[in-house]
Amino acid sequence: MTNTWYLYLFFSAALISAGLYALLAKRNLIKLFIAIEVIAKGVSLLLLATGFARNNVLVAQALVVTFIVIEVSLVATALAIIINIYRHTKSLDVRRLAKLKG
Amino acid sequence: MIVQTSLLVGLVLFSVLAILLRDLLKAAVSLAVASLLLGIIFFRMNASYAGVFEISVVAGLITVLFILTIALTNKGEEVRESKLANLVFPLFFVVFIIIDALVMKGLLQKIPALPSSPESGAFGDVLWKGRTLDLVGQIAVILAGVFSVLALFRKRDKHD
Amino acid sequence: MIILFVALPLVVAGVLPLIGKISRRVLPDLLANAALLFLLVYAVAAGRPLIANGPVLQQLTWLGEAVNLHLALDGFSLLMLMAVSLVGLCVTLYSVDYMEHYGAKANYYALLLIMIAGMNGLVLATDLFNIYIFLEVAAVASYSLVAFGLGHDELEAAFKYLMLSVVASAFILVSIAVIFGMTGSLSLPAVARALQELNAGPVVAISAALFIMGFGLKAALIPFHAWLPDAHPSAPAPISAVLSGLLIKVSGVYALTRIFLNVFGLTPALSTVLMYLGTVSLVGAAFLALGQKDIKRMLAYSSISQVGYIVLGIGLGTPLGIAGGLFHLFNHALAKGLLFLTSGSMQQATGTRNLDEMGGLAKRMPFTAATNLIGSLSIAGVPPLNGFWSKLLIIMALVQAGHPVFALIAVLASVLTLWYYLLIQRKAFFGILNEKWAAVKEAPFWMTASTVILASLCLAIGVLFSLTIKTWIQPAAGVLAEGVQAVIRSWGL
Repeated sequence: MTNTWYLYLFFSAALISAGLYALLAKRNLIKLFIAIEVIAKGVSLLLLATGFARNNVLVAQALVVTFIVIEVSLVATALAIIINIYRHTKSLDVRRLAKLKG
Repeated sequence: MIVQTSLLVGLVLFSVLAILLRDLLKAAVSLAVASLLLGIIFFRMNASYAGVFEISVVAGLITVLFILTIALTNKGEEVRESKLANLVFPLFFVVFIIIDALVMKGLLQKIPALPSSPESGAFGDVLWKGRTLDLVGQIAVILAGVFSVLALFRKRDKHD
Repeated sequence: MIILFVALPLVVAGVLPLIGKISRRVLPDLLANAALLFLLVYAVAAGRPLIANGPVLQQLTWLGEAVNLHLALDGFSLLMLMAVSLVGLCVTLYSVDYMEHYGAKANYYALLLIMIAGMNGLVLATDLFNIYIFLEVAAVASYSLVAFGLGHDELEAAFKYLMLSVVASAFILVSIAVIFGMTGSLSLPAVARALQELNAGPVVAISAALFIMGFGLKAALIPFHAWLPDAHPSAPAPISAVLSGLLIKVSGVYALTRIFLNVFGLTPALSTVLMYLGTVSLVGAAFLALGQKDIKRMLAYSSISQVGYIVLGIGLGTPLGIAGGLFHLFNHALAKGLLFLTSGSMQQATGTRNLDEMGGLAKRMPFTAATNLIGSLSIAGVPPLNGFWSKLLIIMALVQAGHPVFALIAVLASVLTLWYYLLIQRKAFFGILNEKWAAVKEAPFWMTASTVILASLCLAIGVLFSLTIKTWIQPAAGVLAEGVQAVIRSWGL
């Protein structure tokens, strides 16, 4: 693997880890979703960088485009759930969602 | 290379900012700027289609959806984040970056890869003819998203 | 035309909301059930002759041009398709009555059909990224189906499920990117061939670890199980049946098995990891199920435990173990689907899921009691029901392969399973009839009918177990036991 791939992998790992930490630590529902968006950026960066390193940008672009479409559907569904939760509890605090014990 | 690296640093910076900022609106804007930078990074990797998609969809559409949600959920009390988590985060992040850099340095040249063949064809062909099942999947996931939103916002005449 | 398995549910799902505007109940019910009935008949009737000479590959032409739509149907995929169609049909039958008071039935059927299309697509895909896409298709549909009732519990469960599921997808994609980087290809046969050439042990290990974390989250193996005990009870009963009976197996176990056995190749290290993971889930979830009062929560923990069994059997890697694991996958899909459906009947009749509040329901709901009993005994592994034979196969395979300790643990966990299922029976159905339920009636026709179908199948497969194993399980196990060669040789594109 070319050396530039490791550069992109470095940044991608930073993004994904920041997103994962925020997912565990944050309490505002919308912040949790921003964390998911950051993870998605890390993943799409990694996918395209891999294609770039292999001189295969076209396939990588197709993957990233598809991934972005999936991401949009996911965001729509998640935000719909968040808005419904807000209507129930009048708050965006994830600690209010502690009724189920998991 | 310098430009690319600085763009990448900007991307990570704005993403972290989006996570840390307390005002949700500013966080959404920060996320949009990060998407913009990512789109430019894609352009510079000769991936113009991915760049356009990233900018128009993620920096555009998703930011609009975010701001819509923020507007609809505005009247509740502000959620106070854990102070401990906010303090620990920079520490964690810096430590992670250091470990990350060392691991990457150690992995240099260690991951084997098959040689790559030169690429041919146009993006349209690759997407429509090369990865057609992906398109079926995209249609399915868009349908799923649309029906989900319709189902989750339907009029309730009875509530249990 | 195996594309029909994906295309038909999608097309029907697309038109359902429009039809729902014209006819709120009858037409959507009819269409959804007809679609699934067609898929089931197609799978059963046309499936085996199709694969008699090896896997069927399909490359379509569309408007005169060759389109790269590669689908592959082999024994393993056919087994999964049958499970999906069977449980799916019973779920849609059940929903005819159960989903009446939720509203928006056409929308519900549309989402359910999209989930089924996603699962079918996952099972027929020949490409790593396609597996990921259809996994997401089924997942996005399932988030809103879990939240369908729009109550507080459902929304909370759906949100937590979504969060964890996104983490799983991230892990899976990172692993796919690494494999793409190494091998330059995403199609399963090409990757299998390339990995054999490359001999890149440590990196494949990292990729495998990421896959285990990602697909393990989807399959709800311990320690990745935290979302399931909340999500499955809160969803409407038919959706719980599809989630527990199908989704965790298709997006978790199937994907993991296909990639590990047919692409990476099952190394001894991988086998050990899988066996330990399976055993931890098996025992841990069984203990966790003991303390539960909510019947659907107990069933949810039981699902985690049985998936542990399946992973233990498949992880063992011997032909007998794989056959046992696959047979148990099929049996559990039927039985757990059945149990969630009957629990829905109980919940609808009594308004509660709390076992302590129920009692003596057998007098008022004989059919539900009987089918619930059959389902419970099947999962607990009591002869001559189907669950007994699949568990026996796994235990025999463990002993044969020289792992008597694992076999002993599996047997003990089985006894534990039997114990808590009999507890459900005693608390809910037998004993003195609680006065509150004196006026309770048996569940409506379609709900009862679908549970009777599933229960009869459990009985039939249990009695005709050798026939079932020979016709359906052996081809599937054979494909997996061949390992990497199965994909390289016969899927070579």
